[in-house]
Amino acid sequence: MAFISLHKVSYTYMGRQKAAVREISLKLDQAEKIAVTGLNGSGKSTLAKLILGLLKPQSGNITLDGRPVGKYSLVEIGEKIGYVLQNPNQMLFNTSVYNEVAFGLKWKGKSKKEIDYLCKKYLDLFELWDLRAELPFNLSEGQKQLVALSAVLALQPRFLILDEPTKSIDTFRKGRLKDILQEIWRRGTGIMVISHDHDFIAKFDDRRIHMAGGEVVEDAG
Amino acid sequence: MQVDIRTKLLIVAIFSVLALTYQDPRALAVIFLLNILTLLAFRVSFNIFVSLKNFIFMYFVLMIIQSFFVRSGEPLIKLGGMYLLTTGGILYGLSIILRFLILAGSGLILVDHNAAELLLGLVKLRVPYEIVFMIQVGIRFIPVFIGELQNVFNTIQLRGVDLRKVYKRKVLRVYVSIFSPLLYSVWQKAEKLSILLELRGFRRFPTRSYYRDISMKKSDYVIICLALVITAALVYVCHKILTL
Repeated sequence: MAFISLHKVSYTYMGRQKAAVREISLKLDQAEKIAVTGLNGSGKSTLAKLILGLLKPQSGNITLDGRPVGKYSLVEIGEKIGYVLQNPNQMLFNTSVYNEVAFGLKWKGKSKKEIDYLCKKYLDLFELWDLRAELPFNLSEGQKQLVALSAVLALQPRFLILDEPTKSIDTFRKGRLKDILQEIWRRGTGIMVISHDHDFIAKFDDRRIHMAGGEVVEDAG
Repeated sequence: MQVDIRTKLLIVAIFSVLALTYQDPRALAVIFLLNILTLLAFRVSFNIFVSLKNFIFMYFVLMIIQSFFVRSGEPLIKLGGMYLLTTGGILYGLSIILRFLILAGSGLILVDHNAAELLLGLVKLRVPYEIVFMIQVGIRFIPVFIGELQNVFNTIQLRGVDLRKVYKRKVLRVYVSIFSPLLYSVWQKAEKLSILLELRGFRRFPTRSYYRDISMKKSDYVIICLALVITAALVYVCHKILTL
C-alpha cells in the first residue's frame, strides 16, 4: 500500500479560471526519494499543500497511510510528514533560533536534556548553533531556511516535503544539505523535493515527477 | 448603470452617520430597511449576505451581554435582587446589532468597485494622498497578514501542537509567544515597504498622474439629490417614531 496516494485530484484557487492542479493521480511510497520539477505556476507547491491537507481538493481523493487526508488533523499529519515551506518567514514564529527548533520538541514532551541534545545536533548540522540566541527574523534568508529545516528535521518525521529548500542558501550549505538529506533517507525517511535546482535534485531523482500546467507530464524513475 | 464611487461614498457616509446618530431600535430598523433597499437597487450579490450568517451567533452573544449591563425596562430574569435580563437590555442589544448591520450593509454598497477605484474616488474628494495611500496599503496588507497568521498556525500544528486540545492557559502561552515575533515581522515588512517606495520615487514630486480616471455623470447627480431627499424624509420619519 502506498504511503501517499492521490486519485484524480483537482484544485482551483478561488477567483481563478484555470485549475492549479488537474486530475493528478500518484502513488508515493514511504521510503522513496522523489524530485518534483516544473516551471513556476505548474502546480508543484499546490500538490504539496494538497498532500498536507492545507488545501482541500475539489475533486478526487488523497489518502495518507491508507486513510483519507481529510480524516487527519494537521497535528496528525505533522507527525507523519515534515514540511518546509518555500518562504521560511512563514514558518518562523519564535523569539530565538533555539526556541524555534525546541518548540515542537517541547510539545512532544521531550525532556530538557533531550531537547538540548536535539537542538544542538540539528543546528550544528548547518553551523547555526552559535546563532541560537538570535531572533530568527534577523537572520539572512538562507539561514532562516536552514532554521526552519532544522526545526522540522528535529521532529524526525517519516516523510519530508521540502519546497524549494535551496532557494537562498549558499553552495557550501547546499552540498551539506544534500548529504544530510541523503543520510536521513538512508535511515528510512522518504523525501520529496520540489525544486528548480537541477544540481541539487540530481541526488533525489530516483523518481522524477515533472509538472506542467497543473498536470503530471512525466513520472519517471 | 455604472454609478460613480463618490456617489456611493456619499451614500455610505449618510448611512454611517444615521446609524451612529440614532439609538432607538425602531429608528434603526427603518434605516436598516432602507439600507437593504439601497443594496437591492445597486444589485449587490446576495452571496455576500450569506457570508454574514457566520456572525449571527456573535450578534446574539452581543445582544445578551448588552442586556446584562443595561438595567432599564422590565426585568425578565431576576436572580435574588439582581436583574440578569431586562427588556431595556434586549432593546439596547438589538440597537447594537442593527447598527452593526447598517454599517456592514452600507460598506457592501462598495463591493463591486475595486480598491484602485475607491482610492481614486478618495483622491478626487481631495483626501490627502498620504492618507489614501495608507488606506491602500491597509486594504492590501490585511489579507497578506491573515495569510501569514494562517501559515504560522498551520506550522504550529504541523510541529505537533493541537491548539484545540491544549489546555487554555497553555494556548494563551502559545499566542503570547508568537505575538511579538509576528509583530516584529510586520514591522520589518512595513520598513522594507517604505524603503522600496522611496527607491521607486514615492513623493519625489508634489503631484502624481493616474492611469485611470473617473467622472460624475448626470445620473450621479440625480442619485445624490435623491439620496439627500430620502435622508431628509428618513430623519423626519425617525423623529416622528421617537416622539411617539
